[in-house]
Amino acid sequence: MGFIGKGLFEGMVVTARNFVGSYFDKERLVTVQYPEERVQVPENSRTFPFLVFDADKDPIGTMRCVACKICEVECPPQCIYIVMDRDEKGKPQQRPKVFDIDISVCMQCQICVEVCPFDAIKMDNNYEKSQYGRFNELVEHLPELLKSNEYYTKIKPTEATAVDAKLKADAEKKAKKAAPAAAKPAAPAPKPAAPAVPKPAPAAAPMARVAIPDDAPFTPEQRQWLSGYLAAVGGSGGTGVAPAAAAPVAGTPVAQAAEAAAAATTASAAEAPAGNWPWHDPGLGMQQRLDLAKDTSIADKLMAAMAQTDCHACGFDCRGYADAIATGAETDLSLCLPGEAETANMLKKLMQEAGKL
Amino acid sequence: MEIAFWILSAITVMGAIMAISLRNVMHCLLSLILFFFGIAGHYFLLHAEFLGAVQILIYIGAVAVLIALATMLTRHITGEEGPREVLGGKWWAGMGTAAIIAGLLWAIIRKDALARLLPTEAANISYTALVGDIGRALVADWVVPLEAMAVLLTAALIGAVVIALEEVIRKR
Amino acid sequence: MDTVYQFLQHAEEVLRGIPLVGGLLARLYHALLGGAPEWVLLAISIAVPILFVVSVFPGIFAYTTLVERKALGRIQNRIGPNRVGRWGLLQPIADGVKLLTKEDIVPRSADKFVHFLAPVAAVIPSVLLFSVVPIGAGLVPVDLNIGLLFAFAISTASVLALFMGGWASRNKFSLLGAMRAVAQVISYEVPMVLAAVAVVMAVGSLSTLAIARAQSGGILNVSHWFVFRPWGFVGFVLFTIGAMAESARTPFDIPEAESEIIAGYHTEYSGFKFALFQLGEYLASIAMAGITVTMFLGGYNGPGSGPGFFGGLISVFWFFSKLGCMIVLTIWIRGTWPRVRVDQLMSFAWKILLPMSIVNIVAVAMWHYITIRPIAWIGTTLWLVLWFVTLNKLAATEKIEKREYRYAS
Repeated sequence: MGFIGKGLFEGMVVTARNFVGSYFDKERLVTVQYPEERVQVPENSRTFPFLVFDADKDPIGTMRCVACKICEVECPPQCIYIVMDRDEKGKPQQRPKVFDIDISVCMQCQICVEVCPFDAIKMDNNYEKSQYGRFNELVEHLPELLKSNEYYTKIKPTEATAVDAKLKADAEKKAKKAAPAAAKPAAPAPKPAAPAVPKPAPAAAPMARVAIPDDAPFTPEQRQWLSGYLAAVGGSGGTGVAPAAAAPVAGTPVAQAAEAAAAATTASAAEAPAGNWPWHDPGLGMQQRLDLAKDTSIADKLMAAMAQTDCHACGFDCRGYADAIATGAETDLSLCLPGEAETANMLKKLMQEAGKL
Repeated sequence: MEIAFWILSAITVMGAIMAISLRNVMHCLLSLILFFFGIAGHYFLLHAEFLGAVQILIYIGAVAVLIALATMLTRHITGEEGPREVLGGKWWAGMGTAAIIAGLLWAIIRKDALARLLPTEAANISYTALVGDIGRALVADWVVPLEAMAVLLTAALIGAVVIALEEVIRKR
Repeated sequence: MDTVYQFLQHAEEVLRGIPLVGGLLARLYHALLGGAPEWVLLAISIAVPILFVVSVFPGIFAYTTLVERKALGRIQNRIGPNRVGRWGLLQPIADGVKLLTKEDIVPRSADKFVHFLAPVAAVIPSVLLFSVVPIGAGLVPVDLNIGLLFAFAISTASVLALFMGGWASRNKFSLLGAMRAVAQVISYEVPMVLAAVAVVMAVGSLSTLAIARAQSGGILNVSHWFVFRPWGFVGFVLFTIGAMAESARTPFDIPEAESEIIAGYHTEYSGFKFALFQLGEYLASIAMAGITVTMFLGGYNGPGSGPGFFGGLISVFWFFSKLGCMIVLTIWIRGTWPRVRVDQLMSFAWKILLPMSIVNIVAVAMWHYITIRPIAWIGTTLWLVLWFVTLNKLAATEKIEKREYRYAS
C-alpha cells in the first residue's frame, strides 16, 4: 500500500538502521583504522624481494644466497646489484658482500624469485616502505633484506613449507649420494681424461634423456645444437650426438675427479697458473673470455666458457668444473646454470675440438 | 535621530549616482541594490517597517535579481564596454527629460501643493497594528484595485508562460 | 535586547530573588553597574545579544559540521573524522585553521571588488536572521513587530551573494551554476513564505515572539504546537522543504554539489572566502531551522518552560533541543535522499508546493471559521489530503513504459 512519499520514508528507515547498527554490528562499520589496525593481506600478495636465512643466530652464515647473480642478470629493470664476498686471498666466499635492491625501480615481477636456484630470494608482502627521500633512501641493503625462514613461513606458509620440503629432500638426496660413494673407496677408476673414441652407445644416464629420434629431419649441425639446447634446458641431452663423456657412470665423486684432474695434467698446453685467469670476470662476454683464454690449456678454455660467477650451481667453482670436465670426471656439460645454453654449447664445441668427445 | 537620516541619505544618493555613472554593468547593479537598501532604511526611519521589509523583499529579492539574470544572459557578460556616448549623442533628449522632471518636482514640492496632500496634525499611529491596518484597508476599502492588480499579475504570468511555451513548441 | 534592558533596569531585585546566591549576585551587580548612566545600560543591552549571537551560533555551526560528517559517516558504514582530538572534536578547529592559512586565489580577470564582497554578502544576511529567532521566553535579540517578514526579506537578500559570486569569478560555469542557484532559491521562496503566511494567519501577528507565545499552554505546553494541527503539519513540511532549498541543502544542493558544474558559484573561491560561503550557508540553514522551530514546533515551549528565571532556562533548553532535532533531521535527509535534477526541482516547486501552500492557506481559514473543533479537524484534513492527491495526479509526468531492449545479436 504505497502512499506518495513512501520511498522517501523507507529510505530514511534504511539510513537510520545503518546509523544505529554501526554502533553495534561489526558489518555495519567496515572501517579499518589504519595504522592501529591493518587489513590481512592474502598469502599470495607480494611487494618487494627479501633474502632468506635459515638460522637466527647466524644470518650471514646461513643465508641461502650464494651470489650467483642470476637474479641480477634476469631482473628486467636491473634493480639488483650484487658483489660477491671474497676473503683476504681473493677466494670467493659463497655469499654476497653487497646486495642492493632499488625498490623505486623494482617492478615486483617476481622473476628473481622464479630463477633463483637456491630459493634464496623470496617476495615479501610488506607494503609500508615509504621513506623521506626518493633516491638513496629507497635502496635496500643486505642487512635490511635478510629475513629469517620463520618470517617467511609466517607470511607465506604454503610456499615456505613447500620450499622447506624441497630443500630437505635435496639435502637427503645429496647425503644419500655421498654415502654409497664414500662406502666404495675402490670405485672403478676414473676414466682417463680424454676417451679416444666417442662411444656411440647411449649411457645409462641417471638423468632422463630426451631422445631426438633418428628419423627427425635435422642436419647433424642442427642435431648438435638441439641436443645442446635440450641439455641446457632440462639437464638432458640428445643421444644422437656424441655426448661429452658417455661411458663413465654419472655421479663420479668429486674427490676422485679432482685426483684425476690433477693426474691428467698431460693436457696439451700448459695450464695457466691458479689465480691468473684474466677471463674470470663475469662482466666479459663469451667471445672476449675465449679470446683471453686463446692459447691456454683445454681446462682453461673450458673455464673461460663458463659464466665466471663461481656460484657452485654445478657443484664446483668454475675452475673445478672445468677441471672436472677436462679430466672426464664430470660428464654433464649443462650444469652451468648462469651460462645456460651458451655455455653448454661452447663446452661441447670445445670438447669436440679437443677431440675429447 | 537626524544623523541617521543624513547618513542614510548620503548612502542612498551615492548609490543612485554610482548606478548611473559606473562603467561596469554589474557594479551599476550593485550600487542600485545599495540604493534600494537606502530607501528601505528611510522607510524604517519613517516607522513604516512593513514597507521597508517589503521593499527589501520585492525590490532587492525580485527586481534586482531579475535585472541581474537579464544582464547575465546578454552580451554584457564581460562586464566591460568601451566608452559609449550617452543616449547615442542626442544631448537635447537628455536636456528635455531633465527639464520635465525639474518641472514636476517643483510642482510637487511647492509648499501649498504639499499642504493640500498631507494631514495638518500628526496622526496617531499605533505601530503594532500597522500591518493589520494595511491588510484591512486592502481588502475593505481598496479591494477593487487589489483585484485589478491580481488580474494584471495573472495576465503577466500567463503571458510569460505562453512566451516560454511558444519556444518549447517551436523547438519540438 | 528589550529583555536585557529591562533586566538591567531592575537587576538588583531580580538577582536578589535567586535562591542561595541572590544576595551575593545583587551586591556584585551593584558594585559593577550601580550608578551607571542610561546609555551604558543601553549599550550593554545591545552588545549582549550581539555577542551571544556571534559567538554561540557560529560555534553551533562548527560543531554541526562535525556532527554532520560523523553522522553521514555512520550512515555510510564508516566512522567520521576521529583523528583530530578524541572523537574528532577538534576537527572544526583544524578545518578553520586550514582554510585560514590557504592561499587566497583570485582569478586574474575576475572582478576583484565583487569577488571580495560576495562571501561577505553571503554571511551578513545569515547572521542577521538570528536577530528575530526567540531562543527562550522573551529572549529575542530584537523584538520587531514585523519579525517574520524581516527574516524573509533578509533571506531573499542572500540571493545576491549567489549571483555576485558566480558573476565575479569570470567563469562561464560559475555563472551557469549561479543562475541555477538563483532560480532554485527564488522558486522555493514562494511556497516557503506562503506556508509561513498560514501561521501568521493563525496567530494574527508577524512578531516571532508572539508566534512562539501563541503556542504555549495546552498539555505540557506541547499540544498547542502548530505542527499538531493539520494545516500546521502541512505547513511544517512545506516550510522545511523550502528552507532546505533556500540554503541549498541536499536534496536541493545543485548549487554546491561537487558533481554539479564543478562547484557552482563558489568554484573560484579558496581559503577563507570559501569558508565564509560555507559559514553563510550553514548559518542560514540553522537560522531557518530556528524559524521553523519557532513557527511550527512551539519555539521555546516545552514541559516546564514559562516566564521567570527557571522557566526561562528550561525554555532555552527546549529551544536548543528542538533546534538540534531539526538539524539532525536535515543531516539525516542529506544522508538519505538523492539529489533532484534541476527541472524536477523547478516543477516540484511550481506545480506541487505552490498550489499546496495556497491550499494550506485556505485550510487555515477553514480552521479559523469552523468553530466546532472535531468538524474543523476532519474537514481540514480531508481538504488537505484530497488536494495533495489531486496535485500529485495532475503533476504526474508521462507514464514510463517498460523499456524494450534490443541487442545486437
